Amino acid sequence: MRRYTEHPFWQAVGILLVAYVVVVWVVPLLPGSAIVPKSVVLQYMATVLVGVLIYVSDSEERWQRFKEPITAMLVEPRLRPVRSGVLVVVPVLVGLVAYGQVQTTVAAPPNLRSIHPAPPTEITFRGKAISLTGLENPLRQHPDSLPAYLADGKRVYYQNCLPCHGDHLDGQGHFASGFNPLPANFQDNGTIAQLTESFVFWRIAKGGPGLPREGTPWNSAMPKWEDFLTEREIWSVILFLYDQTGWTPRTWEKTGTGDGGRGTGHD
Amino acid sequence: MIDALLALVLVAPPVPRPSFLVPVQDTTKGKAVYVKWCAGCHGDGGAGDGAAAAHMLPRPRNFTGAIYKIRTTASGQLPTDADLLHAIDEGLPGSAMPGWRGRLSDAERRDAMSYIKTFSSFFADTSQHVVALKFSSPPGGGTGTEALKVGRQFYDSIGCRKCHGDQGRGDGPSAPTLKDDAGFPIFAADLHQSWRFRGGGTVEDIYRRLRTGLDGTPMPSFSDLVDQKFLTDQELWRLAQYVRSLSPAKPPEVRDVIHAPQIAGAVPASPDDSAWARVDRYWFPLVGQVIHKERAFAPAVSGVWVQAVHDSTTLALRVSWDDRTQSPDTAWLGFEQRLLETVAGDDSASLRAERWPDQLAVQFPHRLAGGAGGMERPYFLMGGPSDPVYQWRWTSQPRRAVAGLARGIDRFDTLPGTPAAQAVHDHGEWRVVLTRALAPSDTANEVPFDAGRAIPVAFFAWDGSSGEHGSRMAVSTWYFLALDRPTPPSVFISPVLAMLVTLGLGLVVVRRAQRRGTTR
Repeated sequence: MRRYTEHPFWQAVGILLVAYVVVVWVVPLLPGSAIVPKSVVLQYMATVLVGVLIYVSDSEERWQRFKEPITAMLVEPRLRPVRSGVLVVVPVLVGLVAYGQVQTTVAAPPNLRSIHPAPPTEITFRGKAISLTGLENPLRQHPDSLPAYLADGKRVYYQNCLPCHGDHLDGQGHFASGFNPLPANFQDNGTIAQLTESFVFWRIAKGGPGLPREGTPWNSAMPKWEDFLTEREIWSVILFLYDQTGWTPRTWEKTGTGDGGRGTGHD
Repeated sequence: MIDALLALVLVAPPVPRPSFLVPVQDTTKGKAVYVKWCAGCHGDGGAGDGAAAAHMLPRPRNFTGAIYKIRTTASGQLPTDADLLHAIDEGLPGSAMPGWRGRLSDAERRDAMSYIKTFSSFFADTSQHVVALKFSSPPGGGTGTEALKVGRQFYDSIGCRKCHGDQGRGDGPSAPTLKDDAGFPIFAADLHQSWRFRGGGTVEDIYRRLRTGLDGTPMPSFSDLVDQKFLTDQELWRLAQYVRSLSPAKPPEVRDVIHAPQIAGAVPASPDDSAWARVDRYWFPLVGQVIHKERAFAPAVSGVWVQAVHDSTTLALRVSWDDRTQSPDTAWLGFEQRLLETVAGDDSASLRAERWPDQLAVQFPHRLAGGAGGMERPYFLMGGPSDPVYQWRWTSQPRRAVAGLARGIDRFDTLPGTPAAQAVHDHGEWRVVLTRALAPSDTANEVPFDAGRAIPVAFFAWDGSSGEHGSRMAVSTWYFLALDRPTPPSVFISPVLAMLVTLGLGLVVVRRAQRRGTTR
């Protein structure tokens, strides 16, 4: 056993094996990481291989010892079965890799979608023009009535939004798996936490069909809620979304020029 | 200020603690969690009457009655704390109840569980000692033919088939009469979809449900039959193993692209052609149409299995899905009426049970998008006025399929060319095969099925006996259909070349090494 652990050739083999196991099986287990794509695995392995080669060729003596088993495999008469095996296995592997490269399968086209497309400056809500620029949630001007608005927002949410956006507001309702893109996750710091309430109002009122092309409106299952809800109900449910998740809406910066839009509302 | 507070504390009368209510538990934290996250469905008073409740089937649990389906305790007994916690942590598959593990902290879930128990006085009565049943372990060989035969024998003899049906799809003769204790209609479980079993889909889960029954529902406990020696514990395990064998070994995985292989000879036009057994099948989940009025909050069809093949001139698409009834079915009219009264919709007041047919729609874009990526396509929910979709619509009565262009959910214009359709309803399952030539006869309106590209496809299903028609249906998003080309021989040239070159190089290396070895 010791003969192997101290031999540079078997050390190199061991390091490569451990690196492969770590990259392919251990890394995905780390919190917040995912399965490593094959091309990235290849890059990691190439890096490790270069490192190993630098190590074994570092001293002349180690390099000679490293080459011993390889030369033996190529030359020694008693290792003839191993030699033949390598000569068969390596070309077959190369053939399989080449086949994997040339074989064509039809894949789903990439789904490139702008998640927060630029909103219009004005929308028409049931025939009434609403300017979105600089717009705040009007219900916040009545602090005394907020509990009542929140309660109504909660009712609206549970009767309409729950099947997709879910009990925990994380976009994992019992219908969510049927749709692509998945319903928005309001608990995530990349959705309502980054948006002004006027943007959220636009998305709720106009839904998927109101998205610009870069938002892939043909895939979105978000209804056009102006068909179901009143203006006040939408503002109420927006209050509920922020209250329930604990996020605060992004606010319009006072620019002094009256132009509240410049880089303030949305990305 | 501090003085005033102190005075308040000093003056406050001691809270009376009735000695018969032991142990007194602090439920304030549990109440806060419950009010924030649970009350929307289960109601502020725990009566299962929250804002969302009327849109759900099964309804959210009514905690005031302390009757729980999923327990480890004997029939008619209260659940253990672990049972309640398990339902909270893992959720109830096939219902709207999510698993809260990872969403709420351990302490929050435990506090909510304790609070839920305060809705019923049964839990306060500590003279009732709640204990989980002792369950045996499953006997081996549960997937063997002999074991499954024994399981099937008891499936028949203890009456499972009366509700769950001969093949287990919940279509037994008693199924249309079923109600739960609250009077709501309840479906006999479809035993082919174990991933939707409320109490879990493993053999152990099924065995436990057989031992404990589902309290508050028509599903009884079979523990007494074991006690009476009508069947042995091992035979009850065999029954659980048989039930498990009806569903796929693993929950179906949703894949984006249906690959339609090219086959030699004509495509199988009949749903029961043996050729279909050799074709990969794909599962697509369907969910309620909750985008347009009238919405469907509790759709009947939970998904479709799809297979496709082509023979370079014709495409055959086989769609199968579980549907208890061959609608219209008068035996289910009463059940349909109860469903309509139970699940609120946008106009449920005016809905009366009628004899609607079952329907299936298969949707493609009107035209295949060109350009880079080919990403753009019509609105997934039946297109729009300016971007129609090409659809096949099959109905159970009249039993036929038509093709047409849909321009939104309300507008469907039939086309003269129709796909050939053959359908079978067999023990709670529809199997429909639709075939059409790859090259359309009407190039202006019909989509061409070109091999080697991803063609968007979507599915819609209606169960007439659940009152589904029009916009009340189950829908899918866009997926893709790819007609595979047979692998051309040229594909093998470069791998073979690569192998030969590698082998040649290897031989050269060996030869040189050996020559050097001998000269040295």
